[in-house]
Amino acid sequence: MQTERRRRLTLSRLAPWLIGAAVIVAIMARIVFLVTQRDYNPSFFAGAMLQSLQLGSLYALIALGYTMVYGIIRLINFAHGEVFMVGAFISYYIFSRTPYAITWALMVAALSAFGLMYVVSLWRGRLTDPVVLGAGLLGFLSLTLTLSSSQLGWIAALLLSMLMTGVIGILLDRVAYRPLRGAPRISLLITAIAMSFFLQNAGVLAFTGNVTAYRPETSWTQTMQLQFAGGTIYASRVVILVLLLTIVLVVILNLFVTRTRLGKAMRASAQDPEVAQMMGIDVNRVIATTFLLGSMLAAAAGVLWGLSYGTLSQPAVMGLLPGIKAFAAAVVGGIGSLPGAVIGGLLLGFMENFFTALIPGVTQYRDTFAFALLILVLLVRPSGIVGEDLSEKV
Amino acid sequence: MPQDRTVRNALLTVAGLALLAIVLYLVQEQGGTKLQQVFALFAIWGTAAVSLNLINGTTGILSLGHHGFMLLGGYTTALLILPELNRERIATSARSLMNEFTLSLSVENWASKLGLEALAAPEALWLRFIVAMFIGGLVAAAFGLLVGIPSLRLRGDYLAIVTFGFGEIIRLLASTDMLSSFTNGSLGYTGVPGLVGKSLWWTFGVLAITVFFMSRLKFSSYGRALQGIREDEVAAQAMGINLAYNKVLAFTLSAFFAGVAGGLYVSWLSSARLDSFLFFLTFYFLVAVSVGGTGSVTGTLMGTALVVFVLQYGDPLEQTYPLTTWVFAGGVLLALAALGTFVYRGTLRLRPRLNAAVYLLAALALLTVIVSYVGPSFDWLQGDFRAFGLRRIFLAVLLIVIMVFRPSGVLGRAEFSWAWLLRERRDEPTDEERAQDDWMHKAAAPVGGDEPRAAAHPLLELGAKDEDNGAGGEIDARSNRAGRTQSDEGRET
Repeated sequence: MQTERRRRLTLSRLAPWLIGAAVIVAIMARIVFLVTQRDYNPSFFAGAMLQSLQLGSLYALIALGYTMVYGIIRLINFAHGEVFMVGAFISYYIFSRTPYAITWALMVAALSAFGLMYVVSLWRGRLTDPVVLGAGLLGFLSLTLTLSSSQLGWIAALLLSMLMTGVIGILLDRVAYRPLRGAPRISLLITAIAMSFFLQNAGVLAFTGNVTAYRPETSWTQTMQLQFAGGTIYASRVVILVLLLTIVLVVILNLFVTRTRLGKAMRASAQDPEVAQMMGIDVNRVIATTFLLGSMLAAAAGVLWGLSYGTLSQPAVMGLLPGIKAFAAAVVGGIGSLPGAVIGGLLLGFMENFFTALIPGVTQYRDTFAFALLILVLLVRPSGIVGEDLSEKV
Repeated sequence: MPQDRTVRNALLTVAGLALLAIVLYLVQEQGGTKLQQVFALFAIWGTAAVSLNLINGTTGILSLGHHGFMLLGGYTTALLILPELNRERIATSARSLMNEFTLSLSVENWASKLGLEALAAPEALWLRFIVAMFIGGLVAAAFGLLVGIPSLRLRGDYLAIVTFGFGEIIRLLASTDMLSSFTNGSLGYTGVPGLVGKSLWWTFGVLAITVFFMSRLKFSSYGRALQGIREDEVAAQAMGINLAYNKVLAFTLSAFFAGVAGGLYVSWLSSARLDSFLFFLTFYFLVAVSVGGTGSVTGTLMGTALVVFVLQYGDPLEQTYPLTTWVFAGGVLLALAALGTFVYRGTLRLRPRLNAAVYLLAALALLTVIVSYVGPSFDWLQGDFRAFGLRRIFLAVLLIVIMVFRPSGVLGRAEFSWAWLLRERRDEPTDEERAQDDWMHKAAAPVGGDEPRAAAHPLLELGAKDEDNGAGGEIDARSNRAGRTQSDEGRET
């Protein structure tokens, strides 16, 4: 009989906690210093916190796509940042044409409702399932309503952009990645890079080459004032929208992955595609679903990005930095893990935004910092915070 | 190989080089400016691509930070060689970010301080250029050493991302306060002398040195060690190859030549600016290496020629044409795709040759062509369209197609040879070799059921997988085992 030995506390196991504690203490000390010595109001930090949460949620939404794809086919989907860009621009071209004439609204809504039914039928199995029919009907009605109103146009843009970008994600997998299923992972990565380059330039071709103002007619983008600790926080209302929508989408994703057959198949394929296939799971369908979900989340992030910052930069560059930062977030959280992606996204948003608020003059190092963090985490702890060890062993 | 072929090949090589020299002479003396520029750009990018090939092809590590190495080499060279006039212009400019010290960094100053009047003389600019390019290469090599160190811990796609991160960090840092006193921020320097970068003799000279060095390296004991690492790290280590030393060596050497190429590049551009060193540079080199043949120096040069040709002479693709022309071109492309699918199925002996995809593509092609003719009479397809960026899209599509259909590139790992060009058959196998083959086939037969099939031709494998869609997918058993154990990593292309 062996008694259960207590795991020894070694420095290497304690190190992450120690570092975390040290960082938190340092941040607190810095805040106290700034408030007492330089006369900063605490509401400034509360505002920075809100912005950090907003940015972090956006990163989390994009990071989920990276992490799901990596979890199943071990591919760093380099083109995911460009999928985000495509989602944002598609939504722009939809809402900027609202309100639609009722005939057009009906037609577009009918087509999209059918697409929605197809997506839901991935989960329910049949097109004639009551849930599928209900979703189709609901989608049809809500899209008709939102498309024919200029105030609600952005909702239609969100839904349609998610659907269309999801289809683009599936196409991406079908055209570029699926023919390479058996190939070495490096070939797959090169293809992903080529796809990213392709989408950047196709974006210039299809959308525009310029910076685009993204201002749908909605009251969500107005500024609100909050009283906090004797000061006023000026924040955009869109913060609330971003947080709410992120929570809703993450909960839906979580329900999908944990409660549905397809979600179960997805987890099985992530564990071991070969055995999953032996158990009768159509792995290709699972992968297509993964791309669909990841791209839909990226499109949602694109719409929220546009609402949050009011502009979309040129298609050729828009996806690169958010994409690579979201990838860094996925790695920080532990690639392959869904909660890890959310934690990592929030953490990265926090670091990027809050640190620049704490230390004036480091704004110019924001992007450098994201890359440095990515390199550091990959080198020191490739498994991330909550991830299993996926680092490459022999 | 018989003696006469050796002699013949040597003669052909000499003749080829002589022909190249004559062509270069003619272009330099008679050709237009555009042609000279294209040739020089080919040599510069060729140098960089061949150096990338050392990491990507020979060592089997995907490196995506080459633009960072080129930036370092380019900026160093530009700073060290910038004429006094342009320095004064920067010093008097209100937007200048450079200071007294950084502006005084030049080979000319150093030479006059050391009393080397010959080096500081105006007519010795070429000599100063060589010194500056060499120092630029050394700076890049030092950074390559730094980038090489992660390769000791990481492999495969993670390592690729880390190299990409390093390349981007360099570019991002160059515009921050930390380095902007050296780089002059986003303004950069203008007026870098074009003496070396625009001269065909210099650029092709550097290319020749690089190619000579790389091909000697490839077949030296170092190169064999690097190729061993590419094939199987564990086996290489077991054979006594020092992984750390060899990988870092590959990165350092590659970065050195990339830095030199960067020096040539700023001279070709006659300015050093941060937006000349974006990630697309690395992407072009990646296309060149992957299309020409990963691991093949001559293949890489062929790939570079293609990339440079498409980018420099592809501007007709990006001009304004009526919309009907574009639709018609789309129809032609679809028709080509249908034909390609048909031929592809034919070569793979898939039946029926005319499957649904072929019919669908052909029908779409026909429809598109009809629309392009009928459209204008229904008031459709009015107006013009300019497909900006089509050259880059073409390169991206080319890379995807190569990766799907021929992942090892056109030449694979093989180098160009006259026998390959002339499609000569190898010598007939001897009786002893035949006996060995027979023995091998017999020995291999019983194992066949258990082990995954030996790698056949990649195209055949793809085709085979295409057929068993019904069984639920194309995930190959071999790749999955590789996915878990990672033992297959780097055994690519």
